[in-house]
Amino acid sequence: MTRLVPLLLILAITLGCNKDTDDPRPDFNKAALLTNISGEIILPSIGKFSADLDNLSAAFNQFSLDETQVNFEGVQEAIKTAYLTWQTVKIFDFGPIRTNGIKSAIGTYPSDTAVIASYIATGSYNLSSLGNVDAIGLSALDYLFFKQNALNELQTSANYLTYAGDVVAKMVAEFAVVTNQWTTYKATFDASTGTSSTSAFSEFVNEFNRDFELAKNAKIGVPFGKQSLGIQLPEYIEARYSGISLDLLEESIRALQKVYNGVGFTTGADGPGFDDYLIHLEKSNLDSTIDMGFNGIINKTNSFTNTLEQEMAVSVPELDVLYSLLQGHVVHIKTDMTSSFGVLITYQDNDGD
Amino acid sequence: MTVTNTFSNSVNNFLSQKVSIAPLIMFRIIFGALLLFGTLRFVSKGWVEQLYILPKYHFGYLGFEWVQKLPGNWMYLPFIVMIVTALMVIVGYFYRIAITSFFLCFTYVELIDKSYYLNHYYFVSLMCFILIWLPAHRHFSLDVKRKNVTEQHNVPNWTIRIIQFQLGVVYFFAGIAKLNSDWLMEGQPLGIWLQAHHNIPLVGPLLQEKWMAIAFSWAGCLYDLFIVFFLLMARSRKFAYLFVVFFHLVTWYLFPIGVFPWVMIFSTLIFFSTNFHEIALDRLQRLFRKDNSLNAATSKSAPFPSARWVNVTIALYIIFQLAVPFRYLLYPGNLYWNEEGFRFSWRVMLMHKEGHAVFYLKDKKTGRESEINNAKFLTRTQEDQMATQPDMILQYVQFLKAYHHGKVLHYGNEKFTIKDPEIHAEIYVSLNNRLSQKFVDKRHDLTTFAYDLKHRKWLEPFNE
Repeated sequence: MTRLVPLLLILAITLGCNKDTDDPRPDFNKAALLTNISGEIILPSIGKFSADLDNLSAAFNQFSLDETQVNFEGVQEAIKTAYLTWQTVKIFDFGPIRTNGIKSAIGTYPSDTAVIASYIATGSYNLSSLGNVDAIGLSALDYLFFKQNALNELQTSANYLTYAGDVVAKMVAEFAVVTNQWTTYKATFDASTGTSSTSAFSEFVNEFNRDFELAKNAKIGVPFGKQSLGIQLPEYIEARYSGISLDLLEESIRALQKVYNGVGFTTGADGPGFDDYLIHLEKSNLDSTIDMGFNGIINKTNSFTNTLEQEMAVSVPELDVLYSLLQGHVVHIKTDMTSSFGVLITYQDNDGD
Repeated sequence: MTVTNTFSNSVNNFLSQKVSIAPLIMFRIIFGALLLFGTLRFVSKGWVEQLYILPKYHFGYLGFEWVQKLPGNWMYLPFIVMIVTALMVIVGYFYRIAITSFFLCFTYVELIDKSYYLNHYYFVSLMCFILIWLPAHRHFSLDVKRKNVTEQHNVPNWTIRIIQFQLGVVYFFAGIAKLNSDWLMEGQPLGIWLQAHHNIPLVGPLLQEKWMAIAFSWAGCLYDLFIVFFLLMARSRKFAYLFVVFFHLVTWYLFPIGVFPWVMIFSTLIFFSTNFHEIALDRLQRLFRKDNSLNAATSKSAPFPSARWVNVTIALYIIFQLAVPFRYLLYPGNLYWNEEGFRFSWRVMLMHKEGHAVFYLKDKKTGRESEINNAKFLTRTQEDQMATQPDMILQYVQFLKAYHHGKVLHYGNEKFTIKDPEIHAEIYVSLNNRLSQKFVDKRHDLTTFAYDLKHRKWLEPFNE
C-alpha cells in the first residue's frame, strides 16, 4: 500500500499534464443555474399567475355585480390568461407547489362535468376533499364559463354562480400560500445542488421531464387515441370548451424551452440553464438537438389553425407527426440530458451500489 | 502422489489449525450491529411501504417467481423479525436460530423484486449464510451464560478465513470488473458522477476534469484489486486499513450508496490480528464486568465436524464464488449493454444506464395498437430499472400480455375483446455518457421470446 501512493500520485500528475491546455470548456455552476431559475423564472411566473388569479377574481366579482355579456367576456379572458400562465408554473411541482398539492388542485383535467352538475344542483359540496380534484381548478372554470349557454346559466342559477365563485376563491386562497412559502423556500432551493434524488436540483430535473411527458401524453396522446387502440377520446381534451388546447400545448412547450435555456420569464434575458450545463459537459451537439427539437414542436403546433377537437377530425396524419416529434424529444431530454447530469430518475432516496 | 499429499496435508493443516475465537466473536457483534442498523434504517426511511407494500407488480428472480410478498402491512413482519434476531445475534442469544431466521427473512425480502438488487444486499445474504455455520456464539454470549452451549476459546482457522475469503472476493472481483475501457480509458461512469459535485469548495472544479475521473477510476481499480493482500500482510495492515476507511468515506461522501461503506469499513476489521481482537474483546467484556480474558483461560475446544466434510464443503463454496462472476463469458456481445450474467458478480458502480421504454399493446384481430402507460403498473424505480435490463423487459411483457388477455376494452362507442395480444416495445438506452442508442426495436413481438438464461438475440447491437 505504501508503494501504491506515490504510484497513484505519479499517475494523477501524468494524466493531469496530458490534458488539453487549449480546452475552452466554459465554466458552469449549478448554484448559479438554480438561482437563475428560481429568481428569474419561478418567482416571476408565480407572481404573474398570482396576479392573473387576482384579475380573474376581480373580473368575477365585477360580473357577479353586473351580469352583462361584456363582464362575462372579461371573466373568460381572465381564465384564458391564467390558463396560459399556468403552463409555466406547473413545471415546478416540488417544494411549496407539491407540498400544497397545487398541481392537481389547479391543473387536473378533464373535469368530471357530471359531478360538477350534481354539486350545482344540490348546492352542497366540499371542494377541499381529495376526491374532488376533477371538479375544481382551471379545467372546471373552462367548463363553467365556456360551455354552451354558460352566460345564461350564470345569470339564472344562483347555485351555478356560487359554485364558480367558490372555485375561483379556492384557487386564489391556495395559491397565496404558495407565493408566500416560495419567498422563504427560494434559499433552500438555491442551495440544494447535491446529487441525491431528494436534492432540489434532482427534483427539478425530474419534474422538468415529467412535465414534458405529461404534455405529450395528456395534452395530445390520450385524446388522440394513443392509449385507446387509436380510438379518439375528445372528452379528454384539455380546455375543450374554450378550445385553447393547442395554445396551451404551445405555451407549455415554450415554457419548458425557456426553462431549458434559462431565459428570464419577464426579462427574456438568457441566463444559466440546462443548455449551459450541457455545453460545459462538452455536449453542445446534444444542446442544439434539444433546442431545435423544441423549435420543431412549437412550429408544428403552430401550424394547426383550428381547435384540437376539430384537427383530430380532419388532420390525423399531421397530429401523428406532432406526436412523433414529442415522443422523440423525450429520449433526448430524459435519457441523454438527464443521464449526462448524473441525476437519478427516481423519487425515493436509495441505497445505490 | 507425494506432492499432492503434502499439499493436501498443508491445506488441511492450515484450515483446521486452532486459533483464538476472539476475531469471530468480535465479528458476530460488529456484523450483528450492522444488520440491526441497516434494518432500522430501511424501515425508518419508509422503504417497506414504498418498495414492497405499494407496488402492484414485482420482478421476481428466474426460478424464484414463487416468492411473493406478504399482504399489506404484513410485509413489516419479516423486518420486525430481522430487528429482533439481529439483536439476538449481537448478544448471542439462541444464536443459530437467530442468524438462520435473519438470513431467511433478509433473503426472502431480496428475492421478491430484482429491481432493488444491490451487490451489498447479496453480500449480506452470503455473509449471514456463512455465519449460520460458524461457532460465533461459543464465547461472550448469552448462550454460553445460560449454559446452552459449551464455551470455546479456540476455533479452526477456516471459520475466520472463510469470512476473509468472502470479503476478498467482493474486493477482488470488483477490481477485475473495473478492467474495461470505459472505466480505465474514459473514466466513465465515474466522470458523470464526479462532475455533479462542482459545488464542493476547492475540489469541485477539479472534479470537472476528465483526467480527475480517470485518476479516480484507476485508484479505485487498484484499491479493489490489491487491498485484500495488503490487509492480509501484518506489515502493511494498519496503513491498508486507514486506506479502507479513507476510501469508503470518500465514496460515502460523493455517491448515494447508503450503508455499503459502513459495512465494508467495519467488516474488514476481521483482517486484524488475533491479538488485536483479543484486546478489543477484553475491553468490551470489562464494560460488562466480565473478567475472564481469553489469554488466561486454558484452551477449550468443542468437537467439530470432521475435517474432510468441512474441506469439501468449503471447496465447493469457493469454486461457486469464483465461477459465478465469470459466467458472463458464456454470452456473446457487450456485457454492459446486454446484461447477461451481470448480477451476483460484484460489478459495483460500473455503469450509468438510463433508458426510455414505450410498450405497445397490439390487438391481433383489428391490428390496432395502444401505448401502455407504465405508471399504471410500475413505480418510477421499477420502470427506470426495467427500461435498461432485458430480462426485466421480458418479464414485464409477459405480465402485460397476461393482464390484457381476455380484457374487454371500451373506448367511446367501440368495444374490443383482447385475445392473445402482441406486445411491442421501442426502447432507447444511454450507457456511460454516450448518446442514447436503440435498445429494442418495435418490429419484434416480444411475447414470442422465452424468458430464460439463453442469449437474447432481439436486442439491438451496441455501437461503441
